[in-house]
Amino acid sequence: MGYINTIIILGGINIIAALGVAILTGYTGLFTIGHAGFMALGGYMSAIFVKELGVPFPIALLLGGTFAGLCSFIIGYPAFRSELRGDYFAVATLGFSEATRLLLNNTRSMGESINTAESGIAMLFKPIGPLLVKLGGVFGYMSLPSPTNVFVVVVAVILALFFAHMFVTSQYGKNCIAISQDEVAAQMMGVNLLKTKMIALFVSAFYAGVAGGLMAFYFAYLTPSFFTITKSSDLLAAVVFGGIQSLIGPVITGFILVVFPELLRSFAEWRLIIYGFLFVIVMIFRPQGLLGYVEMNFYFVRIWWNKIFRRGQTSQEG
Amino acid sequence: MELFIQQLVSGISIGAIYSLLAVGYALVYSVYNFTNWAFDGFMAFGAFMAFTGITSLFMPFWLAALFSIILTVILSVGTEKLAYSPLRARKAPRLFMMISAMGVNLATVNIINLIYGGVFRKFPIDTLQPIFIKGVSIGRMDLMAGGISFGVLALLWVFLYRTKWGLGIRASSIDIMTASLMGINNNAVAIVVFAVTGVLSSVAGVFYGIKYAVFPMMGIVTIKAMIASIVGGLGSLPAAILGSMILGILETMVSGYISSTYRDLFSFLFLIIILLFFPNGLMGKSSGEKL
Repeated sequence: MGYINTIIILGGINIIAALGVAILTGYTGLFTIGHAGFMALGGYMSAIFVKELGVPFPIALLLGGTFAGLCSFIIGYPAFRSELRGDYFAVATLGFSEATRLLLNNTRSMGESINTAESGIAMLFKPIGPLLVKLGGVFGYMSLPSPTNVFVVVVAVILALFFAHMFVTSQYGKNCIAISQDEVAAQMMGVNLLKTKMIALFVSAFYAGVAGGLMAFYFAYLTPSFFTITKSSDLLAAVVFGGIQSLIGPVITGFILVVFPELLRSFAEWRLIIYGFLFVIVMIFRPQGLLGYVEMNFYFVRIWWNKIFRRGQTSQEG
Repeated sequence: MELFIQQLVSGISIGAIYSLLAVGYALVYSVYNFTNWAFDGFMAFGAFMAFTGITSLFMPFWLAALFSIILTVILSVGTEKLAYSPLRARKAPRLFMMISAMGVNLATVNIINLIYGGVFRKFPIDTLQPIFIKGVSIGRMDLMAGGISFGVLALLWVFLYRTKWGLGIRASSIDIMTASLMGINNNAVAIVVFAVTGVLSSVAGVFYGIKYAVFPMMGIVTIKAMIASIVGGLGSLPAAILGSMILGILETMVSGYISSTYRDLFSFLFLIIILLFFPNGLMGKSSGEKL
């Protein structure tokens, strides 16, 4: 049972992060290969909130996600303002995630040098010196509480899916889709490119941040090595295979891509090679992905609800 | 002062390697309007083929370099035929081309990782003694890397601007449909463009391997080349070279005077600052998305 729990929890965390990438890459058409960086920021921030400041766990998750979202503006604003081509935006995300990992790898030595510093700019950072030492650099941020369990993850996935659905069917989501199809045409129809892209990036980074937080509180420790470019490629893979402009597709593949390597441990080395070839094959034979352009909807729920409700009515009448 | 000159020479040589990469991206982008993400995989492939040529097949350095260039050209053109040209034939959106290229990259890098392992290897070439000029030591490898890279760039310039084939490529980069109506063979242009890209990535890979180390993830350095071309200004080859030089010198200065740990952080911060104050890069005209 413990093993199945692990798979469900890791799968759920991956689903939430993949939903973030789906909003940005699938719906807005902005290619990202740096979402591991946002996961890292969200994860570390929510861990700090819980462990150092004693904030309750659900609120810390939201705060961590918000922090990741705000950090995304560091690349979002300059990149979108200069109308950077989509490809170069991807470079900016990759650079951002590598820079984040570089900083996190060195938190310990930075903290130590701040603690021993006597003068200069380092004095400004004096209050956060001990905290940076605690983050531990490459050794990781140890002994966190671990409140993440199956129940929490399932609730989080349902909420994430619900809000993502609300987002993509709202006016903002429609603007995002318009941008992904033709930026110039969207602008002519009165879509504010900068604002819409920033909102999409914020939401996307928020999701990644929450996923990072859940991950931190499941493993009970964090190291920068969780958040490498491999993690970003995995998330991108979930969206590419699951389908462009679809939420349910990335959810399914996001889960499968966690379960599959677990079942086939001996193929672990081959995993990324297979992903690579699949990227090419999918693009050639089914570029829209498994469930591309298939909108998840809740009509079936309404239909069931009506059926149950009506049956109740008829039985009352009869 | 000595340190400054040493770092400057080193910076120019690393800038020359970045220029090769940036020009490789710019060439494919200007003709086919997508970023060839597979390029960093090709670079690692080129370095590893030269490495294998020297260690396993006991070739001299120049022969190993030639061996690596030929194999990388085959890989690059093969990728074009198998992964890009079916998509182009269907007029697929750019995002699909990019994802396909990303897939080629993932596969190449991880196959190399599977075969050779993820360890850092020293490139098997005798380290030549540095030259001393008035107490300033200048690495011969830096001079060689810089010199050969500039030589390759000069050859490319001659090829693009002084030959009929180059004219065909430049015409295709303006409008590929019209160019083919004027009798330019599109398939031949594709083969030539990707062959040139293969040569550039192989040379860059070999020199980067000599300067630092040979490892499967070495292609990650190509993000520096992209940063350089954004800094210089998108869409022109001289701007890409200018940006690469600035970035190369900035990086070696930072690692010489501040800290080599935070070198990559500085290049990324530099990108953000440039984008905030020069949204189109230093030399760029107002670009935006090409329709």
